[in-house]
Amino acid sequence: MSQRTRYFMIGSALVIVLGLGVGAVAYYNGNLPLTGRGGPAEFAYLPADVNGVAYANVTTIMNSQFTQRLRQVLPTGDEKTKLQAELGIDIERDIDSVVAGTVGFGPDEHGLVLVRGRFNTGHLEALAVQHGGTAQEYKGKKLITFENSPYAHGGGGAGDQVGHSAVAFLEGGLLAFGDRVAIERAIDANATRQNVTGNADLMKLVGEVQAGSDAWVVGNFEAISRSKTLPTEVATHLPAVQWFAVSTNFNGGVNGTVRAEARDEKAAEELKAVVNGALAAGRLVSGQDKRIEAMLNALQVSGMGKSVTISFTVPPEILDIINGVAAAKHLSDGSGTKVKK
Amino acid sequence: MTSERRAPSTLFASLRVFDISLGEMLWSRRTVFMGLVVGLPVLLAAIVRLLHELGAPGMRVNNAAVTGPVIFGLMIWVFFVRFSVPVLGVFYGTSLIADEVDDKTITYLFTRPIPRGAVVLGKYLAYLACTICVVLPSVVIVWLLIVPIGGSIAGSFVDLVKDLGLLALGLAVYGAVFAMIGTAMKRPLLVGLALVFVWEPTAMALPGYLKLYTVAYYLQGLVPHAMPGESTMSLIQSIFRETPSFLRSIITLALIEVIGLWLATRAIEKREYVLEQ
Repeated sequence: MSQRTRYFMIGSALVIVLGLGVGAVAYYNGNLPLTGRGGPAEFAYLPADVNGVAYANVTTIMNSQFTQRLRQVLPTGDEKTKLQAELGIDIERDIDSVVAGTVGFGPDEHGLVLVRGRFNTGHLEALAVQHGGTAQEYKGKKLITFENSPYAHGGGGAGDQVGHSAVAFLEGGLLAFGDRVAIERAIDANATRQNVTGNADLMKLVGEVQAGSDAWVVGNFEAISRSKTLPTEVATHLPAVQWFAVSTNFNGGVNGTVRAEARDEKAAEELKAVVNGALAAGRLVSGQDKRIEAMLNALQVSGMGKSVTISFTVPPEILDIINGVAAAKHLSDGSGTKVKK
Repeated sequence: MTSERRAPSTLFASLRVFDISLGEMLWSRRTVFMGLVVGLPVLLAAIVRLLHELGAPGMRVNNAAVTGPVIFGLMIWVFFVRFSVPVLGVFYGTSLIADEVDDKTITYLFTRPIPRGAVVLGKYLAYLACTICVVLPSVVIVWLLIVPIGGSIAGSFVDLVKDLGLLALGLAVYGAVFAMIGTAMKRPLLVGLALVFVWEPTAMALPGYLKLYTVAYYLQGLVPHAMPGESTMSLIQSIFRETPSFLRSIITLALIEVIGLWLATRAIEKREYVLEQ
C-alpha cells in the first residue's frame, strides 16, 4: 500500500470516527456546545426522564394576526389586569416563552413550568413571602415554597414535601413554577447536565417539530396512559401509540400537525382507521352545516410507516363563528352585552 | 533434501491482491466519478447550512417546517440508498475482473501461484475498502452539516449509526452481486445497469412477490428514515410497500453477499478467459 493510499484511508477513518465520536458524546452526555443543542435553552432544567414537554413562543403568538383578531372578538378578561396590578407582569409583553414538562406517573407525577421573560424578581419574591411563602436556597438557587398548596401535586414518596408548591428564580429572567420536587429535580438536572437533551427518543421528535413552530408538545403516550390521565375506555381502545407530537403555527389562522408514532406499522394503520372513522362520524353528525364541514375538510390524515399525521387548519373565519355563537348566547341570556365585531 | 515452496492460502493471497488493488482502484479515473457522486450531497448540505446560517427562511411542507434530520433522511434515500450505493456497486463490482480482461492483464494474475478465487476476493475487499472510505465520510459530513438545523445531534445519532451500517452493507451486497456478474457475463456493465435502473425499480413498484428478488427490497427495509413521497415511483412503492423485518433483511442480505461471492470465485475458477488479440 502506497503512502498516499495509507494517508487517504487514515483520513477517511478519522472523519468517520470524529462524526461517531461527536454523536456518541452528544447521545450519552447531553450535547456538545459546538453542535447545537436542539430544543430551547430551558431544556437544561428538564430532567432526562420527562414524559412530555411543551413549548410556546408567547411573543410570536401574541403578536400573530390570529391573536390580534381573537382579541377583537373576545372581550379581554379582568384577570389579566388583576395579574398585572398584583405581580407587575403583563402577559402579552413581559413573557417571551413558556416551557412545561412532567415527570413520573400517578401519585409520583410532578409538573414543572418554566417561564422566560422580564420580571421584577424583588417584587415577586416580596409578594410571595407576603402570601405565606418561605424563602430558602437549594443548590444556590432561590426557592420560595408554599406549604399544603392546593396547586401542588402530592409528591408521594417525598416525605415532607407532599403538597408543597414552589417558585424558583433559576436565572435572570427565568422563573420556575411547580411542585417542590419538580423544581428541585430541575435544579439537579441543570447542575448534573443529566437533562432532557440526553433523551434521544424525545429529542428526535422535538427536533422535528420545533423548527418554525410557535407552540408544540411532544410526549410519551405510553407514560401518559400509565398516569391515568386518559379515561380507561379511551386508553384501551387506542392502538399502541408510543409517541405523539403536536406543533402549531400562528399567522392569520392557526395551522399545525398532530403526529403519532405507533409501535408498529399495523398499529399505525389501525390508528389511521380510527381517525378516519372519527372524521366520517363527525361529517355525519354535522349534517349540512357548511362551517363544520369546512373545518373537518381542513383536517388531512396521512401516514407513512409507523407514523400517522393529521394536519389541521383553523381559518380566521372560525373567529366569526365564535363571535356568532357568543353573540347568540348573550342574546338568549338577555345579558345584552355587545360583542365586538 | 529439497525445500518445497508451498502456495499461499486463499486468505493470504486475497490480502496480497487487496494490497495491490486498493491503490490502483483508489487513484483511478473511476474515483473521480465516485467523488462527484458522493461530493454532490456534501456540496448541497454545505449550501443548505450556509443559507441557514445567513438567516434564510427554512423550507416548509404542508405548513410543517422541514428540519435538518428530515432533510438528512431525504438525502440518505435519494442520494445514497437509491443512487450512490447501487451505482458504485455496478461500476466497481462489474469491473473487478472485467478490467483485467479488457486490459489483457488477467493472464499475469493467473500465472501467480495463488488460487484464482483469491483474485476476486482480494479485489472485492479492495472495492469495499475504497467505496466505504469515500461514501461513509461523505455521509458523516452531510450529517454534521445538516442535522443541527432545527434538530439535535443526540437525537439523530442512532439513525446515523444505522445509516452507516446499512450503506456499508449495501455496498458489500451490491458489490458481491456485480462481482459475480462481472466474472460470469460478457457485458457485465450493461447487465448491471439494467438490473439497477430497470429491474429493481420495476419489481419494487409491482405488487406481488417480484420484489423479493431485489437487493433494494431488503436494503430499503433497513432505512430508519421515512421514504420520501415526492415522485410517482415513491407513491407507487408506498402503496405496495411491505417492509421485511430487520432480522430477515440482515440474513437475506448476508446470504446474497456470501452466495454472490461464492458464485464469483466459482465462475473465475471454471471459466476460460479468451483474450481478444
